[in-house]
Amino acid sequence: MSTRDESFEKLAMPHLDAVYRAAVAICGRQSIAEDLVQDTFAKALNRFELFEKGTNCKAWLLQILRNTWIDSLRHQKVTGLTLPLEDEITAEATEAHETVWSNAEDLLENFSDEQIIKALSGLPEDQRLTLFLTDVENLSQKDVAQITGVAVGTVKSRVSRGRAELKNKLNSYAKQMGLIGGEK
Amino acid sequence: MNHLTNEQLENIIQGRDEDHTHLDQCQDCRERLAEKRAIAARLRSAFMSVKADEGLADRIRSQINRDSETTKNIASIRQIWAIRLHRKIWPALTAAAAILVVLLPLILYVTTPSTATAAQAELVMIHQQNLGSHREFYSDTDPEKLAEFFKDKLGFTPAFPCTGQGMEIRGCCVAHFKGQIVGSYVVDTPRGIISVIVVTETPKEMGMKHMPGKKGFEKSSYAQNNMVTVRLGDYSYCAIGKISEISHEYLRGLLNRLLPNTQQ
Repeated sequence: MSTRDESFEKLAMPHLDAVYRAAVAICGRQSIAEDLVQDTFAKALNRFELFEKGTNCKAWLLQILRNTWIDSLRHQKVTGLTLPLEDEITAEATEAHETVWSNAEDLLENFSDEQIIKALSGLPEDQRLTLFLTDVENLSQKDVAQITGVAVGTVKSRVSRGRAELKNKLNSYAKQMGLIGGEK
Repeated sequence: MNHLTNEQLENIIQGRDEDHTHLDQCQDCRERLAEKRAIAARLRSAFMSVKADEGLADRIRSQINRDSETTKNIASIRQIWAIRLHRKIWPALTAAAAILVVLLPLILYVTTPSTATAAQAELVMIHQQNLGSHREFYSDTDPEKLAEFFKDKLGFTPAFPCTGQGMEIRGCCVAHFKGQIVGSYVVDTPRGIISVIVVTETPKEMGMKHMPGKKGFEKSSYAQNNMVTVRLGDYSYCAIGKISEISHEYLRGLLNRLLPNTQQ
């Protein structure tokens, strides 16, 4: 194994789980996520000379992941294929974020992990990754801005809108499951 | 009483400094904050069980090893060729290099006008990146969605092209220009692809020259690309295309058709 490969193994491979989680968050399918992660690591290795040692390797990998995902979406568009993403989410268009859940923690415990992830996958693309990086990976707004290629102010508004939208979708699930009333 | 905005609550969740005085007094805002924190925590916990399986790690490692072998083979071939070249044809290469040294400044002189500025170089770079495969490229062609994309990225919606007559918007890109995020849209025209880049700088600040007899339009050329710029409100719209495909006059005509407000 060359020095580059050893260095890549040491610096990049420990972030495999984080990159995989992000892939699941943005594409919503395990099989697609695995291919996406593999492509991401292949690209990262090819460009590893460009990685500045001492900087945030996880953020660097996540940025490559995002660009790889955008490229694949573009390719899907060109070839006329669409990714089966939005069709599974059937949340009603309600304005749930206008009212506050009085028992938020208890209510949220009723949802399975799969339901939560599915709800996140149904958010608009720009909000989905931003909310994931902020809440799950706990990255700073500055890092998120760098990964997603937008200004910090945009990150703030996307997190805010994304969380409201996520609540909206979960609220819809809660109604379907009979956890809350139809009218609140 | 003014309640905290959602963004202020997000700042508190992020641990950024915010005045908590209002929170202390407002039950509604405390409940909103608790709810947002609960959603964030539940989202985090939902993903904790998501891990890449060992098979994926193995596949990536195998790929690294394969790439490594390929790199080694390529390096060996290069080394062999380097030795051959060094022994047999280095005099020819030296002569070719000498010719290039003489010709290169001449080529640059002919193709790059003396008026070219750093701003023009940046504009051309953005156009070339727009044509590349790694640029973030919002490829929806619905003008409303494109407008929303720009509003989100730039904080304003630039004038949007009226297409048709063989022209079609391919998508939008964002890039950095003089330290600021700027937007551009990429348009397929019958003669080739052009970028229309929206910047705050005036054409004069970017070193553009007036187009004789074409009031409001300024032009320049740099690195085999033609540029024509027009000012509309607080922004300059700079259309760029390859010299070999697209003339200044064609770009001006396109801007006229794409942005009807510019018509004189």
